[in-house]
Amino acid sequence: MDYMEGGKLFRRSSNWKMNKGKIFKLAKGFRGRAKNCIRIARERVEKALQYSYRDRHNKKRDMRSLWIERINSGTRLHGVNYGKFMHGLMKENIQLNRKVLSELSMHEPYSFKALVDVSRTSFPGNRPVKKEGLAAIL
Amino acid sequence: MASRRCLLRLLSSRLVPQRSQPLAPVSIATRTLTSLSEPLGPPAPRALPSPRLYYPSRCHFATRSSGDEDDDEYEEEHYDEEGSEGEWGDEDEEVAAKKPSGKTEEEKVAEAAEIGYKVLGPLGADEKPFKPYEPVFAVVQIGSHQFKVSNGDSIFTERLKFCDVNDKLVLNRVLMLGSQTQTVIGRPILPDAAVHAVVEEHALDAKVIIFKKKRRKNYRRTKGHRQELTKLRITNIEGIDKPETAAVAA
Repeated sequence: MDYMEGGKLFRRSSNWKMNKGKIFKLAKGFRGRAKNCIRIARERVEKALQYSYRDRHNKKRDMRSLWIERINSGTRLHGVNYGKFMHGLMKENIQLNRKVLSELSMHEPYSFKALVDVSRTSFPGNRPVKKEGLAAIL
Repeated sequence: MASRRCLLRLLSSRLVPQRSQPLAPVSIATRTLTSLSEPLGPPAPRALPSPRLYYPSRCHFATRSSGDEDDDEYEEEHYDEEGSEGEWGDEDEEVAAKKPSGKTEEEKVAEAAEIGYKVLGPLGADEKPFKPYEPVFAVVQIGSHQFKVSNGDSIFTERLKFCDVNDKLVLNRVLMLGSQTQTVIGRPILPDAAVHAVVEEHALDAKVIIFKKKRRKNYRRTKGHRQELTKLRITNIEGIDKPETAAVAA
């Protein structure tokens, strides 16, 4: 592995030392010997990088499903389910995306109710609006 | 080291800020360093911004150098690597000129800015566009990303090509407005609404390492990537009645 050239000793693995530092830096917080011992750390770091590559793509899917969950729960409070709500919005040519809709359902309840009403008039919901008190009897 | 041309650097170096470079991620750091180190010979035709630039004092630039900032308010500031729209101008032949790419004239630049749903306003000089918080929100779309913004928010978008630090922008693709008393829903956009913003910095995202490996096949590839971002600060939302000012006026 090591060889002599011009009176100096060259380690073939001279990059190994630099690389070790980078690997340990990426291995911070790992469990057990994976953060201390290079042989184990190298494997674990490679796996971690592979997972991060895969999960950068998965994160987009996960976030979208999270938004859909939130929109669903927000609309069901008003008696409309997610599918009919989105269909009503598409019919009205409202191009808000799911990220923004989930934020509105969390932080702007009145505006979100306005959107649900718009969608309900455009496409009838699956449950009529609950009438309370005297209106329910009438 | 992140290559950023922010307001502080403008103040310190007193150079005419160079327009955004063509997007070659490998050489951006070197290019900006060399370009900023040598003062531009012929002065730009427009007036230099006065040294007393107003900049918000709470910009924490030091935080950008940390490694993991991927999930910085993901809901509000969506800056992941979605495909950036639009044309790639030629290499910047005229460095001292106002616009970066030689082939596009000012009208074409304005048109291209329309595609990105922003309009360049004049540079802010000696004015304080930052107002106190108002309880009004707008949903604005830039490129393919939508943001729910309010007065005083800062958002990270894909690198906006034809604007520079401390420029005023008008984001005219507004999808929804809301206040304490009104909600205005556009189908799909509201033609009379506008959101004013100021470009705060052009920055690079934190580095992500793209690592591909096939096991037992002797295949391993490593690549680093830093996405180019623009940080905008929202200053004003127009197109909806703001209840507080109406009450004050009345």
